[in-house]
Amino acid sequence: MKRFKKKPKVKFTKKKTEKSLLELYERKFIEQFKLLTFPLFMLHVAIFVGTLGYMIISDVYTGTANFIDAFYMTIITIGTIGFGEIAPATDTPLGRIFTSFLALSGIGIFTTSVTVVIRTIVSGNIIELYKIVIMLKDIQNLKDHVIICGYNKTSAWLARTLKERKLDFVVIDDTSSALEYIHKHNIRYFISEDPIKRSTLESSNIRKAKVLIANLEDDARNIALIVTARLIVPSKEELAIYTFASTDGTAEKMEELGANKALVSNKILATRLASYIFHTGSGYIADLLDKIAFGEVSDVDILEYKIEESSPLVGKKLKDIDLRRIYRISVIAIRRKDGYIDINITGDTQIDQGDTLIIFGSTKNLRNLEKIYKEVVK
Amino acid sequence: MKYKKILTDFFMLMAFTTTLSFVFNPNPYELVIATFANLSATILKLGEGRILSTEMTAASFVADVHLLPATFIYFWLGDVQESVSLAVGAVAANIVSIILAIIEAILASFYEED
Repeated sequence: MKRFKKKPKVKFTKKKTEKSLLELYERKFIEQFKLLTFPLFMLHVAIFVGTLGYMIISDVYTGTANFIDAFYMTIITIGTIGFGEIAPATDTPLGRIFTSFLALSGIGIFTTSVTVVIRTIVSGNIIELYKIVIMLKDIQNLKDHVIICGYNKTSAWLARTLKERKLDFVVIDDTSSALEYIHKHNIRYFISEDPIKRSTLESSNIRKAKVLIANLEDDARNIALIVTARLIVPSKEELAIYTFASTDGTAEKMEELGANKALVSNKILATRLASYIFHTGSGYIADLLDKIAFGEVSDVDILEYKIEESSPLVGKKLKDIDLRRIYRISVIAIRRKDGYIDINITGDTQIDQGDTLIIFGSTKNLRNLEKIYKEVVK
Repeated sequence: MKYKKILTDFFMLMAFTTTLSFVFNPNPYELVIATFANLSATILKLGEGRILSTEMTAASFVADVHLLPATFIYFWLGDVQESVSLAVGAVAANIVSIILAIIEAILASFYEED
């Protein structure tokens, strides 16, 4: 006899996936309308009872049930307008008794409902939530943007520089003090959530971002952020992560964990101060180069252009490409494949594969060059 | 027992039955009650976070958009035939609403509560 194996009972279970912030805020936005349900329903019932009542009274006394008159009579009664007994048969004893009861119950319902509805819309979160939903949708359309996690004075300066350079950036910080400054500094894209959460980083469109700044003022939190970001985008080329560390040792560990560069802020300040001490004779030049390197001068810049295998520049001499005449920019040095920096360059210097050209010029001309060569290499 | 769900489902069915009865027997009271029930169902569906709530609210809005003009055409223009044909459209929207509610009830019973 053939034996049948008992099939296990199939159970459907909800997939436990972390919802995106956009979905959560959309849900919150829709749920705000729940607050309107009860007052609207009560108002609706009052209008219905009044309309139907006047229709019946009119039908009893005149033989016709006029909906429009009955509806109008109800509205002017519960709306406390009180134009008098306008609808047919409302001046009869039955009509007056009904109007009295409708006014007693309807006026209360009307005023309460209208107050609740207006308060929910005006002072509630509906408008605020709608703005957040729209902003989160806009963030999903960003590309090559910068994500700044933690909004303190350093981040505020960075945001200002990025704004000047017209680069899109998203600020993530969940502290109330940061939120206050974010509004004050008119930051366009911000997410008021914990930056360490995966869903928050996903909502900042991290997969299409170019740079992430981990500036949470705490080594442990910065490490947690770097690890979470690297779990989403493992490649250091696709997403550059820059962070701050309190010591050199921590900075090393952060770089091992996935940060492209961990800066020790006190060390940077000291180095910069030292540069002023060492270049007292030529303070202006040192300051200018410093400012260019740190991006404080927006119309002049230094660009690093790596020569790939497919680049049309491989094997060419600098005089052949004549960047100075065509693009009004200058190659000031070449970093060779082995790390050697060649500063004694002439027109006869040859460009090899793996070299990095260090180009100096106006920001606009450098951008033009970048755009044209990207298309050529494609 | 979810009382709001009972109330919503009650008005949803009520909307369907009263609209259907108006189609078969055009009567001013039937039309007013049908419009009230449809609007009630729509209000109660607002802000619902159920599985197919978006689709159900949309279907409910369709029924309202049919019934409100039907009411004014009936009482203002006195065109009973036109308001009945609009009410038929509302019946179709209500049928869709009810089917969606049934699908949602089945889906909800399959999902385990966390």
